[in-house]
Amino acid sequence: MLSKLFYYPVIVDNLSYLLFGRLAQGQPGGLLLTVLMALAAIAMAMVLGFILALAHWFSPRGIQRVLWLLGEIVRGIPQLLLIFWFYFLLPMLLGRGAPDAVSVIVALGLFNAVTVMVSVLAGLNALPGGQHEAAQANGLNRWQTLRWVLLPQVLDHIVPSMVNLLVALIKDTSLAFVVSVPELTMVSTQVNNREQIYPLEIFLFAGALYFVLCSLLSLGAGRLERRLNRRLGLR
Amino acid sequence: MIEFKNVDKHFADLHVLQNINLKVAKGEVVVVCGPSGSGKSTLIRTINGLEPINGGEILVDGQAISKRARPAERQKIGFVFQQFNLYPHLSALQNITLAPRRLGGLSEDKANAEGLDLLAQVGLVEKSRHYPAQLSGGQQQRVAIARALAMKPRILLFDEPTSALDPEMIGEVLSVMKSLAHGGITMMVVTHEMGFAREVSDRVLFIDQGRILETATPQAFFKHPVHPRARQFLQQLQSPLHLAEESA
Amino acid sequence: MIHYHFDWSAVLSGAPLHWIVSGLWVTFNLTIWSGVLATLLALLLLGMRLSAYRGLRWISACYVTLFRNTPLAVQLLFWYFGGLQCLPGSWRDWLNTSHQLGGVHFPSTEVLVGVWALTLFSAAFLSEEMRAGVRAVSNGQFDAAHSQGFSHWQSLRWIVLPQALRYAWQPLIGQYLSLMKNSPLTMSIAVTELLYQTNQIESFNLHAIEAYAVATLLYLLLGLLLSLALQQLGKGMFVSGDLHVK
Repeated sequence: MLSKLFYYPVIVDNLSYLLFGRLAQGQPGGLLLTVLMALAAIAMAMVLGFILALAHWFSPRGIQRVLWLLGEIVRGIPQLLLIFWFYFLLPMLLGRGAPDAVSVIVALGLFNAVTVMVSVLAGLNALPGGQHEAAQANGLNRWQTLRWVLLPQVLDHIVPSMVNLLVALIKDTSLAFVVSVPELTMVSTQVNNREQIYPLEIFLFAGALYFVLCSLLSLGAGRLERRLNRRLGLR
Repeated sequence: MIEFKNVDKHFADLHVLQNINLKVAKGEVVVVCGPSGSGKSTLIRTINGLEPINGGEILVDGQAISKRARPAERQKIGFVFQQFNLYPHLSALQNITLAPRRLGGLSEDKANAEGLDLLAQVGLVEKSRHYPAQLSGGQQQRVAIARALAMKPRILLFDEPTSALDPEMIGEVLSVMKSLAHGGITMMVVTHEMGFAREVSDRVLFIDQGRILETATPQAFFKHPVHPRARQFLQQLQSPLHLAEESA
Repeated sequence: MIHYHFDWSAVLSGAPLHWIVSGLWVTFNLTIWSGVLATLLALLLLGMRLSAYRGLRWISACYVTLFRNTPLAVQLLFWYFGGLQCLPGSWRDWLNTSHQLGGVHFPSTEVLVGVWALTLFSAAFLSEEMRAGVRAVSNGQFDAAHSQGFSHWQSLRWIVLPQALRYAWQPLIGQYLSLMKNSPLTMSIAVTELLYQTNQIESFNLHAIEAYAVATLLYLLLGLLLSLALQQLGKGMFVSGDLHVK
């Protein structure tokens, strides 16, 4: 009777494909690929973002402005356009073909690296000026001040927003379906093309998977933030 | 004019107001004082429904105020806050004319004319176009008083009107309040300013831990306070350092 | 390294140029129409969220959570493949035939679905920014309004919302720009907006780099114009009484 309202057999029949793609043939897809891509992208974003933030911190004004401008350009265009850029550029730069998923990961990683850079710099600038002075009075140089005094404080604040970034990335990996990368949205489309008459069930299920994953992570981020605030003595 | 009958209020576990019974006659000026946390702010905020009560009833002008006080009831009562709470996106004049225009249906011209009159009363006509951010604390509070008068209320309530002001500005606000008192409007003022109480009030209420412990004329209260806690409170006001040293 | 022969005329003349211009026009329309409709929906959601009725608040909160925690791509596909299917056949037929409204072409089914999906998605984000603006208004303002005898709605209308909007304006501009940057996703349901047309050029004459470069520049310009226009709109609305808010 439930199947009259929501024809769940179509989900059950295609479940392993939706969740894992062609894992058996060595081609991860579906939800698994979504999560893998999101994790890879956030790793790249955090590493690159930190490097960019440090570069900005130690650079003269001119270079800082250039970095800022490049950042504005990267974030001022649609992410999908960025994906297409790397889709065409990566093979050219590497001299050989690259898996489509890599183009997407690089594009998302770059886009969010700029976000991380802005976040870290904002965090550093938000620290009370007294921190910097106190460190200098103690005889630390610029690098040591950063490493031992400023960054640890910034990192504490950044962790919850990194989890929020992960949530955003999980959703943004869905853009990959436009370049036919077999992540969850793409395989849902494939299943829909094959089954033809159950689009509601298929896309509701896909949506539900994203929803559960993102909601859980968001709740986790919220809890982290509250624990952090308590530890730091704020509110 | 204002009457409290067995009024009770709880904040979670805290019994903030306990069995309050009092009457304020028309034209009376009553000062409410007490140590911090005594419930004096809460008391005054229940009259116009900013704080709901849990038991008993409050009557204004003979009519019982509903739990949250309906908008029409609130319009008859003017309220002046410790933090002024002027509307930052409106000029001084607009702050005063907002309610008459939107609630009272007055035309813009009429409202402006009346608003300027009120500003003149508080001595700030030249600031009519200024925004709150451009005014000093004392000026803001005077505009707030004018705003409270805009709907021609029968009662004026003041919740520590000068506590957030720098000392040099307290005088200008108190003098406005004094002239209002002499004008005959019913006033209930929560304040620490004992000079004002002595000069202008008809009666002083001392409240502590949610109970009215003493009611007297200002002369009686300041010269011969009866309740031991009232005495302690007045002594502390007059020489806080002295008392701290004694108890140390 | 790579020897690439840049040929800008391949992109900036003839058929490709037509495609770019028409794509730009579609992107512009998607952004404006979705923006306006999403704003109206967001205001409705905000109103529900601030209502005295718990049921309305709950519906609004659920809507926002649902539409913010699922990707736009899935929503778009859901509406196009699933939503359309639910419409009565006669409606679908009507939508699929070309219509004219006083000389102007009625938008295609794909464009309508695109605007619909973008609107529903963006409204959730817009209303959250507005709600943050309301939270930023100090409690004293509510107290003052209450003490003057304004009803719940009157307080919102004359005192709280004007202040909330000033606090929320910059974040709201960011959301409108996001909407513009989300519009290319509609190319997946064959809406012929700018990115779709850029890909057309690429498959037409293989000049990918030039095509994407032009598209990049156009999106940046569009973003800049949108941002400037909205900043000006903000200045016009808040002409007086600067709250000293960044």
